[in-house]
Amino acid sequence: MKILFTVKDNSWESQMDARFGRAEWFLVYDEANDTSDFIDNSDVNSQSHGAGPLAAQKVFELKPDVLITGNGPGGKAASVLNKMIIDIYTGAGEMTVKEAYNAFKNGKLAKE
Amino acid sequence: MKEIVVISGKGGTGKTSLTASFAMLAQDDIIVADCDVDAADMHLLLKPDFAKTEDFYSGELAIIDQDECNSCNLCFEVCRFDAITVNGRQYSVDQVNCEGCAYCSRVCAVEAITMQPQIAGKVFTSSIKTGATMVHARLSIGAENSGKLVAKVKKEAKNLAKTQNKSFVLVDGSPGVGCPVVSSLSGADYVVFVTEPTVSGLHDLERVNDLVKRFKIKSGCIINKYDINEDVSKQIQIFLSKENITHIANLPYVENFTKAMTLGKTIIEYDKILSEILRNSWKNILKDCCE
Repeated sequence: MKILFTVKDNSWESQMDARFGRAEWFLVYDEANDTSDFIDNSDVNSQSHGAGPLAAQKVFELKPDVLITGNGPGGKAASVLNKMIIDIYTGAGEMTVKEAYNAFKNGKLAKE
Repeated sequence: MKEIVVISGKGGTGKTSLTASFAMLAQDDIIVADCDVDAADMHLLLKPDFAKTEDFYSGELAIIDQDECNSCNLCFEVCRFDAITVNGRQYSVDQVNCEGCAYCSRVCAVEAITMQPQIAGKVFTSSIKTGATMVHARLSIGAENSGKLVAKVKKEAKNLAKTQNKSFVLVDGSPGVGCPVVSSLSGADYVVFVTEPTVSGLHDLERVNDLVKRFKIKSGCIINKYDINEDVSKQIQIFLSKENITHIANLPYVENFTKAMTLGKTIIEYDKILSEILRNSWKNILKDCCE
């Protein structure tokens, strides 16, 4: 399973980023191969408007099975994400990435 | 550390006056963030000292290199915003009209047009009259507030709250339901709605509540000037209980509300009765937010 986290820094020790569109980094963790890819989101961050839909488009291209974030995507971003098969889990904004992963594994995160 | 965002949907409900009052009540245990940058006026009440100033870049502007330009007129033909000014054989960009779309830059055969980051305004970190720190911004003429600017102000405020070990970030959000509002809600822990008993007050509250629900943020509501239309006030209260929004307080219409503002004072410094209601409101907000 491929899991995408919105994170503040490019490390597993990092805090989660509660924001979706303007998250600092995306972490894509592939459980099957145990590989972690950190994707710089500053190109989306630097847009004045429409960060949510742009970030959603990025997620669309990365094709994760699961998205774990803080508050959850806004209306426009959600309508893009609804076009793909993805499970969205929220409420991880105040956790570290590791904590968020464990919380997800233990079924402690809210599913959209 | 908790982030409390004050929004209204409709403009002119008293949101900023109340946010400034809460900033007074919280004294030194908060960082204030003014994200209502289109019409930033909280500084009039909180008297920041503009201690630290930083340029804020957003979007791009086309610049024509006069030495490279061969006056082919293509940029003028493609520009949808009438931003290319022609004076004889000299072509230049009207900085106010340019939207930064880069069409001219793309079609220019001699590559005379480059896109340069635009200074959209300034971001300030100030000390206000309570001694607390406030992060705020001022836009350049013709520039507009954006999700990006709101995100920057909030990020700065949150970092300061962490380093100064403060319990709360108090955010004055922007009106409406657009990009800046989405950005001010993202990452927030609690929302305070400030509304008024008018048809548009309720309508815009409903709209912005849809956004807050999407982000699953707990919320409470203050009905300002509740006594100017008690029927609509009742409708609002029914809406609040239906939507599980805490009804924080009803504020009566009092002329001192405006008088305090014209003197550059918060309500806390000017009207005893309103102060008492607001003191309780702030207590309830903190309780509801931390539950």
